[in-house]
Amino acid sequence: MKRLIPFIVIALLAAMSQSCVKLDIIPKNIVTDNELFNTPASVDIYMARMYSRMPFEDFKYMGQWGFENNGWLNSIGIDGTGEAVNRDGITTAFTGERTAYWGQAFELIRDANHLLETLPQYQANFSDELYNHYLGEAYYIRATVFYTMAKRFGGIPLVTKVIQYPANDAEIEVARATEEETWDQVLADFDQAIELLQERSPQEGYANKYVALSFKAQAMLYAGSVAKYNETVSGRLTGVGRKTQVRVIGFEESRWQAASRRYFEESYKAARRVMQDGGFALYRRRWIAGDKQAQYQNMVDMFSDLSSSENIYVKRYLFPTLTHAFDAYNMPFSFRAPLSAGTCPTLDFVELFEGFPRYPDGKIRVTTGNNNASGDYVMYDNPLEFFKDAEPRLRAYVIFPSDEFRTRQIDVRAGVYTGVTPIKPFFSNYAYNTADERYQNLPIFNGSNKTLYLSPREGNGQQTLQYQGQTMTAAGQDGPFFDNGEATLTGLYVRKWLQTTTNIETGEGKSAQPFILMRYAEVLLTAAEAAIELELAGAPSPDGSSLLQVATDNINQIRERAGASLLIGSLTPDNAGRDIVRKERRKELAFEHKSKWDIRRWRVNHYEGRDGFWGETRDKNFYSNNENYRFRGLYPFFSTQEGKYFFDTRFQWVSSKTFGYQPIDYYFAIPGGEVAKSPLIDQQPNR
Amino acid sequence: MRHRNMKYSIILVLITVLMSNSACSFFELDNYDAPDVTLNGEVVDVLTGKPVLTDQGSEGTRVRLTELSWGDNVEHNPDFYCMPDGKFQNTKLFKGNYHITVDGPFIPLQRRGTDGTIIADESIVMDLENTHNVRMEVQPFLQVEWVGEPTVSNGKITAQVRVTRGVNPADFKAKVEPMGNYNDNLLNMTDIQFFVSYSSSIGYRARDERWSTRIDYSGNDFNSLFGETITVTSNGQIPTGRTVFIRAAARINYDTPVGSGVRRWNYNEAKEVLVN
Repeated sequence: MKRLIPFIVIALLAAMSQSCVKLDIIPKNIVTDNELFNTPASVDIYMARMYSRMPFEDFKYMGQWGFENNGWLNSIGIDGTGEAVNRDGITTAFTGERTAYWGQAFELIRDANHLLETLPQYQANFSDELYNHYLGEAYYIRATVFYTMAKRFGGIPLVTKVIQYPANDAEIEVARATEEETWDQVLADFDQAIELLQERSPQEGYANKYVALSFKAQAMLYAGSVAKYNETVSGRLTGVGRKTQVRVIGFEESRWQAASRRYFEESYKAARRVMQDGGFALYRRRWIAGDKQAQYQNMVDMFSDLSSSENIYVKRYLFPTLTHAFDAYNMPFSFRAPLSAGTCPTLDFVELFEGFPRYPDGKIRVTTGNNNASGDYVMYDNPLEFFKDAEPRLRAYVIFPSDEFRTRQIDVRAGVYTGVTPIKPFFSNYAYNTADERYQNLPIFNGSNKTLYLSPREGNGQQTLQYQGQTMTAAGQDGPFFDNGEATLTGLYVRKWLQTTTNIETGEGKSAQPFILMRYAEVLLTAAEAAIELELAGAPSPDGSSLLQVATDNINQIRERAGASLLIGSLTPDNAGRDIVRKERRKELAFEHKSKWDIRRWRVNHYEGRDGFWGETRDKNFYSNNENYRFRGLYPFFSTQEGKYFFDTRFQWVSSKTFGYQPIDYYFAIPGGEVAKSPLIDQQPNR
Repeated sequence: MRHRNMKYSIILVLITVLMSNSACSFFELDNYDAPDVTLNGEVVDVLTGKPVLTDQGSEGTRVRLTELSWGDNVEHNPDFYCMPDGKFQNTKLFKGNYHITVDGPFIPLQRRGTDGTIIADESIVMDLENTHNVRMEVQPFLQVEWVGEPTVSNGKITAQVRVTRGVNPADFKAKVEPMGNYNDNLLNMTDIQFFVSYSSSIGYRARDERWSTRIDYSGNDFNSLFGETITVTSNGQIPTGRTVFIRAAARINYDTPVGSGVRRWNYNEAKEVLVN
């Protein structure tokens, strides 16, 4: 060590006496605009960076967490939409995101603005068509980011140029614009993008004219709905910021009507252009008229077929480098790898679909009485018989008890009943206020005259009994287990998006199926909804087409492909007609991260508006009180005396979840740190 | 070899220790006094001097403190909520100059016009240094009182309540209309809640779903019922041999703070009832 010291001293001296050379040269390891905007291949690099930051709600997004680009535990439809529930705390109403979409947004906006301001200097490097397309991409990306923020916060800082840094406060600080200005900016940016983008993406993953048109239609439907339905919330859901006196949420009383109508018109026109010129069509590759099996298979296939004529915009994954874990978290319990049952569809969702016996009030019938608390249970030879007439689309979205998945039968059974038949409903009361009474609290389960067998867990946790000389487990191999939320909580599993190939390996980071961010069915539904809203507003058709005819045709196209019955006659220009469109949207676009935005823009999540939560009118007091709401399951039981199955409909039995929502949640809070550090950024005035 | 490794380890440890020591302030306390200021407060009806009862939760009376000492662009402190008896307390505040306001089922203390300018502010601004008591005088929308004693029969509780206006409609209009979006429907009494619970902190949050009930009123249906005796009855059958708590609450069609969409209830005091 001692011998080293002189060397160290010399080395240090040498190092310190170097700085006579001029160091002001461009470092070799930094890529400059000159290099980036040089060839199409180098612009790809710029685009790749922007696209990697795009706020796509796909397999790596969850409502509770926000944009964390994280595939961990990803489930879909669990954010208080009623489509599904799961055991974890992530099953909660969409009242905010753990990672608020704010800082990330401005990084991406800066990249888009930089492209818009810098590319003109390099125009000579590209053909006119490509040059315009690149600018179109920047507008499209900026529109997407503004739109993504506006849905969450209302008015936002509209940063439409690159802000040089450092600079004084006056240049750096940008206040929130009004909500109306924000939507107008979204509209303007989408329109610029539509003007500039090519008809077909020059490269896979790029946007194109129809992508921009489709999202414009979606965004304007959101804007038009907010402007209109804010009026249905007490206090009109509007206010001005404390620091700036700018109307950062909601619309002025004198302006909302015109704004709403204008946005619906823009939505309709954009959707119509996609319909007329886009060349897209609903996926019907395996569809056969009158063949439920084929119609079901067709709708299973469409989510993984990359050549689908319905796909407008697709987020692709690639094994093994760019993957997610949707299969690993959402398959039935017997396939768990390592988790399962992350998305358990609810009975309330199933109730939207056709093909079930019903009570007079429209609820799914499981007994011979007038509601599920009266009469005797109806018996079925096997659980699947109950679903024999179910809409093929529902079967493509949801795995029914005893239906097959990857050539295996999914064994779902809530319990076994050994008492005499006919069987009266297990509970005397199925009302909301008794939702916390469970099957395991019933005297027939834990009393001295035991006739009901249920299982707290799988394997050795199963209760067993003898049936026809054989040992039978109380619960099926796929649950539900009343002390283990790793199996189904509702009696149902999700099927949509799951890979169906049997030989495929599943696990965390092993799934690579694509996520369809925009498909033609949505455009049809958007056109239909905008059309009805325009009729309701007494507005003429923006393009001369018959609004009601277009809406009716669109709904029928979707219903026909889904295997549902067609409309009788035309849709009517009233709330009933509107609700038919809304319900169809709720059904078709379930488990696609869309419904949570729909119930938000319809303003039907808080108690006073909750009758409209399902797109159709349902009495909110059936499934909520003035604080919370819940969802139900569909539980198959086996009767040993009959050798048959029957169903009980009951509020979610396992890992019971309640959801709460207040009107202030229609606009998320601005991140506190952003408000505190800026002299201009306003918090929501109603918080 | 082994010997040299030892030596390096010792040097490494020493370097590490030296580096950790280099941040000397690490061992010092900051120069802030501990938050030892206590604020006690109560929210009372300006007319009667009685406390404005509430539910302890985000639908109850909200207390918002803003420490103005930090400058113009200051965010309020974390909100907290009144206790059911209308009192509040915070024993861990830093010394400073505070703006103290409460939001609840009463005329807003801080009222802003449609353009956001403050037209009236009855909040308190004061320096907090040691222990302070504040009295927030408000005009509650409604007053809810028991009439007589509740009775129990077959596991059902029947009670009688009387609801009266705490603020007269003309006064309400004079103060609320300048805030914009005014219409007379805001004054409508919309519902009476009858909460039943095993918990003594009974209210909107701590209620037993099985037994609690409510009566809804549409439009101005209740106008003729102000001051009248209303009978409320619990739901289901409460098991015998237990003590439960009951409480009634009523609200008008007006949300506070404005635009939050949260319509807060005025409560009466909880009563203990033996079910036998």
